[in-house]
Amino acid sequence: MPDDDYKLIGKSVPRIDARAKVTGEALFTADLKFPRMLVAKVLRSPHAHARILNVDTSRAEKLRGVHAVVTGKDTAGEKWGVFRYTRDQQLLCVDKARYLGDEVAAVAAVDEETAEEALKLIFVDYEPLPAVFDFWSAVAPDAPRIHDEYPRNINVEVKIEVGLVDEAFRNCRLVREDTFLAEEDSYFMSEPYAVVANCHADGSVEIWMPNASPHTKAKALSNALRLPLSQVNVRKITIGGAFGGRSDVFPAEFICSLLSIKTQRPVKLVYTREENTIATRMGHAMLTTHKTGVDKNGKVLARESICWLDGGAYSSTGPIATSVPFLCHEQAYNVPNVRFYGYRIYTNKPVRGMIRIHGRSFACGVDTQLDMIGEELGIDPVTMRLVNARRPGETTPTGSHVASCGLVECIEQTAEQSNFLAKFKKSVPNRGIGMGVNSVQTGFPLGIRGGSQAFIKFHEDGGATVISGVVDNGQGNDNMLVQIAAEELGLPMSEIRLISADTESTPTDAGSYSMISTFGGGNAVKRAAEDARAQLFEVASEMLEADPEDLVARDRKIFVRGAPDAGVPLPKVVRQALLLGRPIMGRGAFNPDVDQRREWIGNPSGQLSQAFSFGATVAEVEVDPETGQVKALDVTCAQDCGFALNPLIVEGQFEGSVAMGGQGGMLAEEHRWHNGHCLNPTMLEYKIPTIKEMPRIKPIIVETIDPGGPYGAKEAGMSVAMSSAQAYCCAVGHALGIYFNHYPLTPERIRDAIERKQESKGIKTAWDIEPARIIPPEPKS
Amino acid sequence: MQKHLLTMRVNGEQVELAVRPNATLLDVLREDLELTGVKEGCSEGACGACAVLMNNEPIRSCLTLALEANGAEILTIEGLATGGRLHPLQEAFVEQGAVQCGFCTPGMILSSKALLDRNPQPNDEDIKTALAGSFCRCTGYAKILEAVRAARDGDVGNEGS
Ligand code: FES
Ligand code: FES
Repeated sequence: MPDDDYKLIGKSVPRIDARAKVTGEALFTADLKFPRMLVAKVLRSPHAHARILNVDTSRAEKLRGVHAVVTGKDTAGEKWGVFRYTRDQQLLCVDKARYLGDEVAAVAAVDEETAEEALKLIFVDYEPLPAVFDFWSAVAPDAPRIHDEYPRNINVEVKIEVGLVDEAFRNCRLVREDTFLAEEDSYFMSEPYAVVANCHADGSVEIWMPNASPHTKAKALSNALRLPLSQVNVRKITIGGAFGGRSDVFPAEFICSLLSIKTQRPVKLVYTREENTIATRMGHAMLTTHKTGVDKNGKVLARESICWLDGGAYSSTGPIATSVPFLCHEQAYNVPNVRFYGYRIYTNKPVRGMIRIHGRSFACGVDTQLDMIGEELGIDPVTMRLVNARRPGETTPTGSHVASCGLVECIEQTAEQSNFLAKFKKSVPNRGIGMGVNSVQTGFPLGIRGGSQAFIKFHEDGGATVISGVVDNGQGNDNMLVQIAAEELGLPMSEIRLISADTESTPTDAGSYSMISTFGGGNAVKRAAEDARAQLFEVASEMLEADPEDLVARDRKIFVRGAPDAGVPLPKVVRQALLLGRPIMGRGAFNPDVDQRREWIGNPSGQLSQAFSFGATVAEVEVDPETGQVKALDVTCAQDCGFALNPLIVEGQFEGSVAMGGQGGMLAEEHRWHNGHCLNPTMLEYKIPTIKEMPRIKPIIVETIDPGGPYGAKEAGMSVAMSSAQAYCCAVGHALGIYFNHYPLTPERIRDAIERKQESKGIKTAWDIEPARIIPPEPKS
Repeated sequence: MQKHLLTMRVNGEQVELAVRPNATLLDVLREDLELTGVKEGCSEGACGACAVLMNNEPIRSCLTLALEANGAEILTIEGLATGGRLHPLQEAFVEQGAVQCGFCTPGMILSSKALLDRNPQPNDEDIKTALAGSFCRCTGYAKILEAVRAARDGDVGNEGS
């Protein structure tokens, strides 16, 4: 259907949730208040690695106003892990603390002051253990083991090899090996983490918390609390951003639920900004060594990538986090022969998860190295990218068919609209331009929780309620669902209510990680609406004496195509259906067409995701070589999002992606450490972009109409976040004639690189960094 | 701890309550007056989520002692719409797509209001300066800038659909 046929889809309609947010009416978790509600606080390990010998809570328990104290003894002994084989985290430490901040005990008291006072009355005997704080020392043969079962602290090992890599390298005109390093970054979603748990007399618990998948949270809690899933009800709540940082399960919700069960009262736990940083998730530090071989035209024939990721103390999404940087690039660029070794390594630091620009060192390494090769061969960056870009209809090395792909358009349009080649060739001192290219998935094989279902019911006046498990982290998923249902049912958006992200009343959904919400949840709602509409047409066809095939639903009316004036009002059809005993109940489900046999470590082959988005970003910067300060001037970003269901929202996603991916992610954002202690956990010292620094952004929406997406849509914005980081990196490099390989590009690092440059000649990276190597398997003992 | 009497006007209504001398204005607004549109993002003056207007000036309520507000006129986001009608800035934020997760929104709108009241024709630099202390992690600020421009130009009320 051409766009003009849609009434709402493809239109920039304002979001349905915006009104409640501009009036302050929208409730976030920390805003909830219940009668008799208690306040919880968590006692955290002051040691990065220590055995817990004894926890004495007796004095805390006696403090007036304290209602409960919980420790590792109160757990059912269940460990949490995203996969069955990565269950390594006690949700309250039992025998050991593995990072500075690990949860050791918690209290529920009448108010915050009492709870804090009580924490001081809990006495813990620790036996401090030697700790490791970076991947080099963690993998040393004599390093202390953080988890007994994991020799050399290797948490996850992923190996992928496709094609004839060594042979291809031998046939290359040019082969380069370079190493890239990125420090840890953080989400800094604006809402600090918070949980409210409310236990009821029937044994059930209601829980509110920012989350990227209510069903995943509920399942984990049901295991940890040993309660039937139907007794663990995760409720809908407004969520203040996620960016990957709400995807996992955290001790906070377990602790809060436990305290509520113990006290039989509602309990609220609100994290400080510092706790949000160290005790939910942060981004991985990552070392990547790329060996890339090309023919004389710059076509990459083979690549070997070895990555080390600093995973912190626990597995979290480990197997996914280890693989995704490679997978994004096997999608973005067509490289026939690839070898990937990924190691996620435990350290005594906070737990790491996937972040919006997960894999900075991998991604920036790919494009920086392409620019280096281009310089050696005399080929410009645009050509280097076009020669290697993924095309539709191709298959990735690990076996995913790429049904739709507008990467070439993204590269061409950003290059043209930024006047890339002219600016690249004309050298203006300290001015630079760079391009990044990336691709992300829309959904992963997630087993029984990989699909989404939806229901639609009608009110007597013709309005409808959509019921869907999709969660909105702030990106606009609620609006997306309603916009789709309204389009299909011919109703104004204002007459559609939404019940979502509540595990008691809404069906399963894959969660808003892996960029699946539009593709999965959107398709499910679309199908439910189509189903409801078919039922409406059945009834209306009798009323209109017409064939259901010829009917149209639009503007609260059902009519024969071409004769809107002779239609029946939708409320009348709904009532007639009730009268006939055939009430309208729409049902829809969508399971993405992925290979469920695919597994991250055991079988990394088969269809990974039904669709992939592709993006290219061009950044233009000006660098002050005296101070190392970078000013971003213009950013032109394009993404093939399949189809823009709501261009206003899609643009907003692109713009936010430039801020987090490029501006913050490449120029400023990193954590600093001292012996496992995070030195900048708060917004005072960790620099996220403000409105002042932001460049002009030109978003370009590229549409390819994916055959599987709702109306052809895929996902909006992630490819821009990732490619922005790469674009900024290449642009700063171009401005200074330096190939940067240690990120982010802070003023200090830029100054250092400028100083080193004067000594070195040739096409080299700024720093000599010890490469990531294959770690030989430990001899079995 | 001895409590002290605090009298102020909040969203046009006179309030009187006893507060501890160390209570922040943020705590009193959120906890005592249940004005949860005032958001707590950092508690140390860095993020701007807790901004409210005190005598028409934006302040960070997390860094302000409640007693400092004695006798003052406080406006929170809950007091901005009148009689169910959104303020033009609120309209503009909705229409321009300046709201994503919405956590920064109350602070952004109130800081923008103080700017427009003081300077009805701000240029982009003025707007950026007024909002430089408010973090938004979602939008990249582009649509926030557009929303404030739209409110400045009276370009609101086009919600259509
Ligand atoms: S909460 Fe007050 S400035 Fe962040
Ligand atoms: S809209 Fe999420 S922080 Fe601004």
